[in-house]
Amino acid sequence: MTVTFPSAPALPRRSRTLRVLTRRPGRVVGLGIIVLFALMAAFGPLLYPGTIAVDPEAVYAPPSAEHWLGTDFAGSDVLQEVVVGARYVLLTAAVAALAAAAVGTLVGLVAGFRRGLADSGLMRLTDFVLTLPGLPLLIVLSTLWSFHSAFQMGLVLGATGWGGVARAVRAQTLSLRERGFLEAARGLGLSQRHILLRELLPNIAPYVAMNLLLSVIGFIGAEVALFFLGVVPFSSENWGVMLNQAVFSGGVMSSPEALTYLLAPLACILLITLGIVLFMDAVDELFNPRLRERS
Amino acid sequence: MTDPTPHHDGAATAGARPAEVEIRDLTVVYRTEHGDLPAVSHASLDLRAGEITGLVGESGSGKSTLALSLLNAVPAPGRITTGSVEVAGVGDVTRLTGRRLRRTRGSALGYVFQASQNSLNPLKTVGKQLLDLGRSHEVEDLRGLVRRAGDLCERMGLDADRVLDSYQHELSGGMRQRIGIVLALVLNAEVLVLDEPTTALDMISQAAVLDIVRSVHRENGLATLVVTHDMGVVSEIADRLAVMYGGRIVEHGPAGELLRRPSHPYTRALIGATARIVGDPGLARALPGQPPDLTTLARRGCVFRDRCPLAMPVCEESDPALSEWTPGRFRACHAEPAPADRAAAVPAPRTQDDPIGGRP
Amino acid sequence: MIEARNITRTYTGRGAFTGTRTVHALRGVDFTLPRGGAVSFIGESGCGKTTLGKVLTGLETFDEGELLVDGTDLAKLSARRRAPYFRRIQMIHQDPYSALNPTRDVGQILGDPLRMRARETGATRAQQRERAAELLELVGLRPAVLAKYPHQLSGGQRQRVVVARALTVDPEALVADESVSMIDVSMRLGILSLLRDLRERLGISLLFITHDVATARYLGEGGELHVIYRGQVIERGPTDTVVQRPVHPYTQCLLSAIPVLRGLEEPGPDRLVPLAALDERAATPGCLFAPRCPFATAECAAGRPALTALPADDAHRHACLHPRARRVVATEAAAVR
Repeated sequence: MTVTFPSAPALPRRSRTLRVLTRRPGRVVGLGIIVLFALMAAFGPLLYPGTIAVDPEAVYAPPSAEHWLGTDFAGSDVLQEVVVGARYVLLTAAVAALAAAAVGTLVGLVAGFRRGLADSGLMRLTDFVLTLPGLPLLIVLSTLWSFHSAFQMGLVLGATGWGGVARAVRAQTLSLRERGFLEAARGLGLSQRHILLRELLPNIAPYVAMNLLLSVIGFIGAEVALFFLGVVPFSSENWGVMLNQAVFSGGVMSSPEALTYLLAPLACILLITLGIVLFMDAVDELFNPRLRERS
Repeated sequence: MTDPTPHHDGAATAGARPAEVEIRDLTVVYRTEHGDLPAVSHASLDLRAGEITGLVGESGSGKSTLALSLLNAVPAPGRITTGSVEVAGVGDVTRLTGRRLRRTRGSALGYVFQASQNSLNPLKTVGKQLLDLGRSHEVEDLRGLVRRAGDLCERMGLDADRVLDSYQHELSGGMRQRIGIVLALVLNAEVLVLDEPTTALDMISQAAVLDIVRSVHRENGLATLVVTHDMGVVSEIADRLAVMYGGRIVEHGPAGELLRRPSHPYTRALIGATARIVGDPGLARALPGQPPDLTTLARRGCVFRDRCPLAMPVCEESDPALSEWTPGRFRACHAEPAPADRAAAVPAPRTQDDPIGGRP
Repeated sequence: MIEARNITRTYTGRGAFTGTRTVHALRGVDFTLPRGGAVSFIGESGCGKTTLGKVLTGLETFDEGELLVDGTDLAKLSARRRAPYFRRIQMIHQDPYSALNPTRDVGQILGDPLRMRARETGATRAQQRERAAELLELVGLRPAVLAKYPHQLSGGQRQRVVVARALTVDPEALVADESVSMIDVSMRLGILSLLRDLRERLGISLLFITHDVATARYLGEGGELHVIYRGQVIERGPTDTVVQRPVHPYTQCLLSAIPVLRGLEEPGPDRLVPLAALDERAATPGCLFAPRCPFATAECAAGRPALTALPADDAHRHACLHPRARRVVATEAAAVR
């Protein structure tokens, strides 16, 4: 037999969401990390107005009260670089993930719901996008384009990365399409717009949200890799540039002094990955009313 | 049907035959954040060789939990808290653990699971799964095992060679159900438990499966328990009937008599709420309210009182115990058993059919 | 009034190695569903029942035949013009668990189609809300249900919501495909009697699709019963006539399979043994049922009989070369009578 649990008294939506987020300590930690980095990206550069200070007297200084994370080859404060560099990295990843999720969801929904010709066409397009080798393409594109703005870079990353989402959403849509409630919606003559946005979308939202969060991690990795490899011109302060310089200019492989310079951005990337993974466990419950109310 | 008369004499002589399985005062509790919720409360039931016992109840009545406790296989967070399940030649199953318990499952007790149409491994042929079963029970003579499975298949109207070489997807729902029975019996189990054997089958496959259960039962002299929500299914094959509601066995007795003269208001209402093929369909009456689940179950008093046309003040206070009122017939109700006439006994409650108020 | 004339639906499946395979889901189905009437289709799984329900509600197309709603042939209309007609035929699904969107509450589930209707009728918001409460009351639920999500309701309550949702568009017919088989037994009759009530009180006609003859009999009182086998109707007639005096061996097998409530009922004297499993692929030029029929003769394998009326009763038709009435259905036990 199945064990059913009593449903909690109906709470206002906001406090229900809050309860889901605080139900497990991992989620609180995850959310905390994400919020911390978001704040860092939003307000970090405001803490350090102007260009990053260079102090030739203190090149490769170890961590101290003045420089918490030490300094780099030019004597700049590593903490300051990490904080300032967060904006470009995170904005790029967020734009890329949102673009990929939006395009992928739209393509997947329409393909799965309309089927037939629309499906074939959109899926061939998806296949094409999936076969695009992402990294080499970006390298080629970077010769034409200087990725000054995080927005541009995000869009390019997103444009090459929506294939997987589209596939997953289409599969979900196809299976939901045969469910009774969608047949009923069609039978009642509800508009296609209503069916796509009100009936289908909420049911695939958890998949999309999880995909979105996971792709943030992927996109951070991808862009940092581009800068690390040095194939994209260094146009701004960011973690990828830091890694590149720690390894190729700082000689971290031979001199341990550059270690904090290398580890600081790496730690940030790991931490944000951890935050996203911890938080992801709450996504399903946030979207599913049945799970949401189970206490 | 091969022989449509069930052995009603089985019920008459039942007292003389030793019970193959004796369930005594069994309580199974689901441990949840909301406290311990009893799924089965103080259930006692005997299964005798040569007798088919039908266990009828709705979802949430605890019938499947009761059946699983025969294997001591109640899924977590469920736990058997009191009572015993004595199986002849094995002892109290609720005290067995590990290897001994595993060997008991299958060899003494054959169990055909709910939705067993889907309980075959899709990646292995039926024959391979049969050999796996034999090896895990340390059967020496695997050839003999296959031969016996073949015999059982033939008896069920299956082509043994074809079936043993087939994968799950190559077989129909009714065929898979039969294979479930073959696998349950191939180790010479003397007790056969079928959990919802015909759910998801259409009428024709259902009739065929029931026919097979009846003939296998008779040929092997089994003690059979059929767990179902369908009165029709049990009344077609069972010798004895136990009706469960809210974790309790509320009525128990010889099948024909119990159907003709149901003594518990729930049994009576359930029969009265069945769309039947004879009689005036306009006479059928729906039950008011809805069946309780673990969390809405009354903690005190009779669990059926909210839907009962005969509810009295005493029903609020004390939970009636199952007791023998005429030889061989048991009931758990405070109200006096109704007179013999069924037509007069069917209550006609016609309140709001399905109120939402039943849930807190 | 809904009339179906010779509705045919064939699926062609193409396997990589097996070549083309055709499945005849419906072979020339004919019926008339008058306003407030009832027609039941009974048959085992794989007989084409579900396809029929989908064709009637516009979820599937048909290859041949006519589907007339108040005299208008829907096959001749464009998809856009067809939609309002199909809206008058609403489906009550088998599984109340998947028939409701888990992310929307009952207020939204009923509100969506009501709002859509309001664009045509000009009903105000307040009127829509009132109508939703009215519909819930009609199906035996309290207004408090409006704020609930489907998972907070029992199977029986969900099925009532499904019925209420179908009623939002004022349909003239409900197609119920095994509508109670997934509901707790003590709740089933409640749903069935609700559908009966709707037919009686609102004149909504019912098309009931099932393998359970007893429920078909309960819902289809005074209506017609069609027995469908591999897409072909092989016997039809007034419900009581077909149940009590079936002449086609397949109908007789189907009726024999109904469990007998021992003690209350006695098995019919001519009750037949259960049939072997259906092989959908078996192709035969003759009677479709002949390969499984206990009474088949050489003649049966040769030609496929068409639906013909019994000499005594024009309403009772069958497709059998050797029709013979048999008493297979249970009778009330003497002790009870």
